Amino acid sequence: MTGLARSAGRGLARLTARTAVLLGTAGVLVAAVPVVAIGAAAAGLAWLRGWPPGRLGREAAWQLPMVAVWLAAIALTSQSWERTAAAPYRAWLAMWQLAQAGSYARALVVVAPAAIPLGLLAGAAAWAYRLRSMAAAAGGSSPGAAAAFDRRQWRHQVRTARARIAAPGAVPLTTAAGDVVVGATIRAAGPGGDRAASGAGGLARLPYERLRSHQVILGGTGTGKTTLLLRLWAAFLATGLRRHAAGQGRAPLLVVLDCKGGGDARRIASRARRVLRAAGARATAIWPDEASLSIWDLPPDQLVTTLADLVEQGTGGAAYYADVLDAVVALAVTAPCGPPAGRAEFLARLDPGWLTLAWQAGGGPELELIRTAGRQVADVALRYRALFRRLGPGLDGPGSLADADAWYCIVEGTAETAVAEAQARALVDLLASYITRGPGDREVLLAVDEFSAVSRRLPIWALYERARSLGLAVQVSAQSWHGLAPDDTGRYRIAAAAEGGIWLLRTPHPDPVTALAGPRRVTETTRRLIGFPRWSRAGTSRAADAPVADPALIRALDVGQAAYLYRGAATFVQISRLVTGPDALAAGLATDPAPARAPAGAGAAAAEQDSPARARPPGAGRRRDSQVVMAGVGAFLDAAFGPEPAGAAGAASPVPAAAGDPAAGTAGSSAAAGRAVPGTTGAPGISGGRRDR
Amino acid sequence: MNPADPGGAIAAPAAPGPASRRPLPARASHFGPAAGGTGPDAAGLAFVAEMYGVQVDQLAAALGVSSQRAGAIAGRWVGRRLAQAERLSAGPRWVWLTRAGLTACGLAYAPSPPALPRLPHIRAVTAVRLALQGAPGYAAAGAHWRSERRLRSRLGGRLGQRDHLPDAEVHWPEIPAGPPDGSGPPAGPGSGASQDQAGGSVTDLVVPGRPVPWAGECWAIEAELTPKTVRRTSAIMTELLSRTGDYGCPAAEARVPGRPARYARVIYLCSPAAAGPVSRARAALGPAGARIQIRALPEAGYLRGGRQARR
Repeated sequence: MTGLARSAGRGLARLTARTAVLLGTAGVLVAAVPVVAIGAAAAGLAWLRGWPPGRLGREAAWQLPMVAVWLAAIALTSQSWERTAAAPYRAWLAMWQLAQAGSYARALVVVAPAAIPLGLLAGAAAWAYRLRSMAAAAGGSSPGAAAAFDRRQWRHQVRTARARIAAPGAVPLTTAAGDVVVGATIRAAGPGGDRAASGAGGLARLPYERLRSHQVILGGTGTGKTTLLLRLWAAFLATGLRRHAAGQGRAPLLVVLDCKGGGDARRIASRARRVLRAAGARATAIWPDEASLSIWDLPPDQLVTTLADLVEQGTGGAAYYADVLDAVVALAVTAPCGPPAGRAEFLARLDPGWLTLAWQAGGGPELELIRTAGRQVADVALRYRALFRRLGPGLDGPGSLADADAWYCIVEGTAETAVAEAQARALVDLLASYITRGPGDREVLLAVDEFSAVSRRLPIWALYERARSLGLAVQVSAQSWHGLAPDDTGRYRIAAAAEGGIWLLRTPHPDPVTALAGPRRVTETTRRLIGFPRWSRAGTSRAADAPVADPALIRALDVGQAAYLYRGAATFVQISRLVTGPDALAAGLATDPAPARAPAGAGAAAAEQDSPARARPPGAGRRRDSQVVMAGVGAFLDAAFGPEPAGAAGAASPVPAAAGDPAAGTAGSSAAAGRAVPGTTGAPGISGGRRDR
Repeated sequence: MNPADPGGAIAAPAAPGPASRRPLPARASHFGPAAGGTGPDAAGLAFVAEMYGVQVDQLAAALGVSSQRAGAIAGRWVGRRLAQAERLSAGPRWVWLTRAGLTACGLAYAPSPPALPRLPHIRAVTAVRLALQGAPGYAAAGAHWRSERRLRSRLGGRLGQRDHLPDAEVHWPEIPAGPPDGSGPPAGPGSGASQDQAGGSVTDLVVPGRPVPWAGECWAIEAELTPKTVRRTSAIMTELLSRTGDYGCPAAEARVPGRPARYARVIYLCSPAAAGPVSRARAALGPAGARIQIRALPEAGYLRGGRQARR
């Protein structure tokens, strides 16, 4: 009986104590009602917007100037530090007195300087407590409440991020500090405090140096990958050009390898040109539709390798033929008369008679080699003839990578995979040669889009290892992890070298990449079921590892959302689309999917010069006979100034005064440039002269 | 509208008139009777403003009056503080506009006398303009001369290292000023009539009321008195031929592969000394050189005593 009474007494005391605490808390809350109201509003706003608690803390800090001014004003008017120190208390007291007198507005004004920062801080603390308890699965009425809370917060954060980028011009391409802005941050997770993670709704910023490192972008079709790529390319050019103008870096060069091809690639090329032009690029060349490059400008040893790599070679017994092909190509390219200046000259050299004549002066083992491989030379020539026919003239032109600020190269990886692989290989060889042997005054970003189409024969990692020292950054994008390389070794090699970070858009198999991002420590809490649907708060907690980037979340990403993985942190970003002006491409380019062997221009700048049809100024869209016009212009000028002077109309003139035929200048110009024209200097063309390099 | 370019990108074409040397048609009526402005006055002031400055004999040729009459007109301008006149070089006096004169023309150019080292070049360019304007069909086709001074003002001091300004542009509008007899719309340049006549003389090519075969084109004019190196000349030619944007356009639009070139052709008017390098530079361009035409600078384009020095 005594025990029962004692127990009842303890229970009563506990109840009394709890009631006292509750009453005391309620009293404090009522007494500090302005702070409580502001704190509740701030926490509610943070919940609605998906803000982190730090955002409220920063907002509170921004109120400090107001507090300082308020205190200074009190100090000046009262001339007493005691009254200044007691100002918050006196404001609180005055608020109640004014409220009692019915002056509610004045009461709010009087207490606001003290209540607003304190309320924001209180809201931040309450919101932080709520987030931590939910992250540890200790909050909510059930164990599933934490997951539901997280899903709700994700929706709020996405809504905030979308609102942040919705206004036109709300997201600049770069910041004043030179950071690249990708969009708005949805959420950031993981250690390190990445600069890109600025809380939901803040701008997602990347230092420019990240774009100067290798990056990997994975995302399926229609997930916003192209939007992200265009933004990164434009930011690279804009920042690079600005740094170059300020003397802080070399001029940027962007080379995009679109390995998908077709009309879609041309539409993206059109968009890329507009975006890059807006970013400051003076010239964007589209290969092979409008501009061409020349593999024949490669150094002879590199040219041998490139030509040999263009042809797909087998293994096993077929390796013998690969060796023969390599030897014959080397003999043709490194002939004493100099390397070939074009495909026609190269094909003409794939002849035992030509090779014998070319090498007989020096004697030596080459003649023996020619005799040995003589029977296969015709096969090699046949193979290259077929290959060049399929490759088109895009690699045969006079253009150079230095001609433009950006090159958008379209290879038909979907329609003609083998051709695309050869073209991609040659283009990468050209770029590598330009970087290693060129003027070395460019910061180059090579972006390979839809890499899976050419990954079988394009060992991109060969560039990775020495790329940074050469000023080259490589950006590889594919639709999935498996599109990065034919095997896991290659995939991990590419992904592990992505020092600039990995972008993950919605993709069905993100696990290998999220595993690369690493884990983070989380608190897991168990709850005791005390009868469905009630769980007590009693339970246990333990520290555990969870992926920084949740694969399930990445599988569920919406269009335009991406996870950026960098140094063990993941930042989820809502990408902002770049708005550009109207299409400025030549008519038909964006809609007419020209195949790889479509006629190419003659270099970025020369493309316009060589074609009289392109010489028409804007508005003169009607087709005219250029020769008629030329003859008419000549007559008009003759009438105005007299005939062309004798010195100008001499042998060097490409335009006969009578007819004005542009084609008449070809021979003269070739002679002037010192180029060997096959067939004009004797049967084998050996004496065509060594090219002046 | 750019205040320095009141005419916009391309000013309104001049009214058609006889093809021979004649007074310049009035471009704008900036001068009311109170100012004493007449057609030749307005046109002459605008002509002088666009060319930096002209010598009185060239002003006479432009206005289609005698040298004495041109001198009197220039004196009247000076009296009204619209222009200044001084003997800056051998030969007749030079006339250039003051700020008041430029303001009267609606031009925001910086008022300054023509630079002494540039006097031969200015005279040469003026002579080229006069020769072109005197050629049959120029006025009938509604062609418009856009001077270097106007191009430079559009740039607004943003002339970059890559930008080479031509000495002038000649715009050939696709629609001429109108048939003199008002008999219906003109035929298109691709019509059989114009093509059939294309191979004949220039008088056959230029039919009043019908576009010239090269209508719609824009030409760059280069007057070369002193020889440059072939390499430099070739670089200038390449730059002009590859340009796609107007001067003053965003830098990104200056050269855009795939866009139509701004200049359908480049016309070089050379002194005998400069003709050789220019022709060699054109040959070095290869097929692209087909868009470059070379002619001799008119005799009137040399300053008195300058021709002998450059032979």
